[in-house]
Amino acid sequence: MPLCDYRVVVDGELSDDIAPAFEGMSLRREEGRTVLVGNMRDQAQLQGVLQRISDLGLTLLSVSALDDEPSF
Amino acid sequence: MRSDSDLPPPIAEAKLAAPRLRANAVSRPRLLDALDGIDEAAVALVAAPPGYGKTTAVRTWCAQREAAVAWVTLDATDNDPTRLWSYVATAADRVRNGLGRGALQRLMLPGGSIEYAVDELLNALATFDRELIVVLDDLHEVTDSECLSSIDYALARLPPSVRFALITRTDPALELAALRAGGSLVELRTDSLAFTTDEARALLVEHGEIELGADDIETLCGRTGGWPAALVLASVWLRGVDDPQRAVSEFGGEHRFVAEYLSTVTLGTLADGTRDFLLSASVLGRFTAELCDDVLDRSNSASILKNLERSNLLVTRLERGGWYRIHPLFAEFARFRLAAEAPDSEREINRRAARWCLERGLLAEAVEHALAGAEYEIVADILVEHHNALIRAGRSRTLLRYIRVLPGSLISERLELAVGAAVATTVVGRGALERRRFLELVRRAQAAEPGRVSRYVETSAAAARAMAIEPDVAGAVREGRHAVTLALAGEDESVVFALSACATALYFAGDLEEAWAMAMQAVEHPDIERRVAGHAMARFALALVALDRGQLDTARIHAETAKSLLGDIGSSRSWIGAEASAALGSVNAAEGNLVQAEHELAHAERLFQDEVASVHHTWLLLLLARVRCRRGRLDAAESELASARAAIRELGEGGRLRALADDVEAEIVEAAARARSGEMLTPPSPAELEVLRLLATDLTAREIAAQLYLSANTVRSHTRALYRKLGVSTRADAVARAAKLGLLEQAESPM
Repeated sequence: MPLCDYRVVVDGELSDDIAPAFEGMSLRREEGRTVLVGNMRDQAQLQGVLQRISDLGLTLLSVSALDDEPSF
Repeated sequence: MRSDSDLPPPIAEAKLAAPRLRANAVSRPRLLDALDGIDEAAVALVAAPPGYGKTTAVRTWCAQREAAVAWVTLDATDNDPTRLWSYVATAADRVRNGLGRGALQRLMLPGGSIEYAVDELLNALATFDRELIVVLDDLHEVTDSECLSSIDYALARLPPSVRFALITRTDPALELAALRAGGSLVELRTDSLAFTTDEARALLVEHGEIELGADDIETLCGRTGGWPAALVLASVWLRGVDDPQRAVSEFGGEHRFVAEYLSTVTLGTLADGTRDFLLSASVLGRFTAELCDDVLDRSNSASILKNLERSNLLVTRLERGGWYRIHPLFAEFARFRLAAEAPDSEREINRRAARWCLERGLLAEAVEHALAGAEYEIVADILVEHHNALIRAGRSRTLLRYIRVLPGSLISERLELAVGAAVATTVVGRGALERRRFLELVRRAQAAEPGRVSRYVETSAAAARAMAIEPDVAGAVREGRHAVTLALAGEDESVVFALSACATALYFAGDLEEAWAMAMQAVEHPDIERRVAGHAMARFALALVALDRGQLDTARIHAETAKSLLGDIGSSRSWIGAEASAALGSVNAAEGNLVQAEHELAHAERLFQDEVASVHHTWLLLLLARVRCRRGRLDAAESELASARAAIRELGEGGRLRALADDVEAEIVEAAARARSGEMLTPPSPAELEVLRLLATDLTAREIAAQLYLSANTVRSHTRALYRKLGVSTRADAVARAAKLGLLEQAESPM
């Protein structure tokens, strides 16, 4: 799987304190949700992010590959 | 330096301790009733995200049922079936002395199958006179497919008085569909575990004594979705504020992620001392008061913990040993706070904890903290001393996982780790490249500073190379002989291993006399009882030498001994199990039991598959090709022969492998010739004959299917088999050949 940006959206606004949990991803708060965007090297890295979300008790709302969108 | 340890591998006590029952917990009878559905079932699955009170519910339920409980809290290191079941067996043993002993013994057989041990455990548990519930908490941590298969195996065979309760954050990759369909599964999921408004009121108003109205409770339940962990945090928080109702209405308007928000505000309500304590303790996961005192430079941890435990639910005491656990979600967010306030403290806390645990002989805990704190020296020290114990107890996979984390420079300094890992890869299988890397480290050290490499390391490395037939047969023999010389001179524990490994290499080199002598010397060694792996290897060599000499009975005895040493090798997944399987398969082939032989040899071949070609694997390909040829499966035989030839070229091997390849090729050529000349190697089955009869008519394939009440696929499949057996590729040729062989007369008369 080639390098690709992914956008992951979770329920609830996370503070910047949590950013280290999602190293390499940008964190943006939006109306009761948090949008995480980052470049995923491979599926393993992406699955790691999802695992982290599960461990923190977050509710996953969506995961999408941003194929042709520019990275941040 | 001798590195020997007959100690059993260390056990993390806290993993076997369930959380203590609290007197003032909110009573949730509907959950207990739901779980009681297990009376008609056998397995309870409790699945929900973290903080839903799963553990509490199961713990309370077990107490209420007055069942005996074998509780194991799993973690990521339990992705090793031997380790997982060792904990389960130990937990069973704590219920009643001796219940787990048989299983533990079987688990220590290197290369033995897990199912063998699970059978032993279940048999023992069946003798227990009361209800026994085995609880596997945090099952989501286990993702290894072998582990999961072994759990499936157990769940399908539970004795009537034994129940399993699986607590997990994610639905496990187990075969639950069958259990569900059979009504053997009881499930408790998120929607059931969420607090109702009544339960929330009981928690906050009755137990928490917080002044809140019905609206406030609604708001809290709405915002949290009934998430128990959040409501618990809310109760701690609201007890510490002056105006709880106002706090709740502000909370209602909050968008922040509930768990983080509540953890933060709760921390805000705590006194400084307590706050600091909790921030630091959140790193430790599980801890005792003494551990906290030492690691956090305090003397009052005991009283802080007692207070915390009594007054709120941030801290829970476990049943044994004075262990405590922090509310997991709170701990998660507290750690972030700590990282923001004091960046290096987490690592330092883990390092101190590692040393504390090491001093008290809590080795499993020490390793975990050391890894978390990147304190690799400690991990290395522990492994240098205990790696053999781990391998002997069947924990090779765990050993490898630990060693892989260590920096290469550290391993180069402590070559015991390199040889330990090399042997472990051989036990676990499919690790040829990794093994080479580790042995290369040893070789380089030997070349650079010969005096630095201890005799133990040198012997083990040489024996490992001999066992794996590296770098090639001739080299393996040299290494084997070297290992034997060193081992005998040093009188140390490697003697059996060295002798057996050398015997194997000698067999492949064609040195039958010497191979036999060495293997016998191993078997007759006084230590042989304790060296199961080496013993099995020696029997392997003896069986093969006997076969070569045409002594079928002797060969069978040795092959069967190898098998019985390891338990049921049918499901064994290791290199040693593969050797035993290969020996038995060879004996069966020689005796003409071709079906059995193919099964065993195919099993061994799969186990020997690796990233690179190897003598063992190539040898198995040839044995398999020969048996398949004799069973009439020429295509498969030819393909295996071709793969073997390619491997032989790659390995640059001559000797036994090439001779065997030539033999097998000759057999295949002859069989192909017989088939072409009209002789059928394998007669068609009755079903195939029916299809054959109709192939001789004008009917199309679809019409044939209709006439025989078969699917088109089935007809196609029978037709393919017929073509193969007849050695043809068209319908016309098939009919012609069949006529010539008189097969058409054998078929029933047309309808």
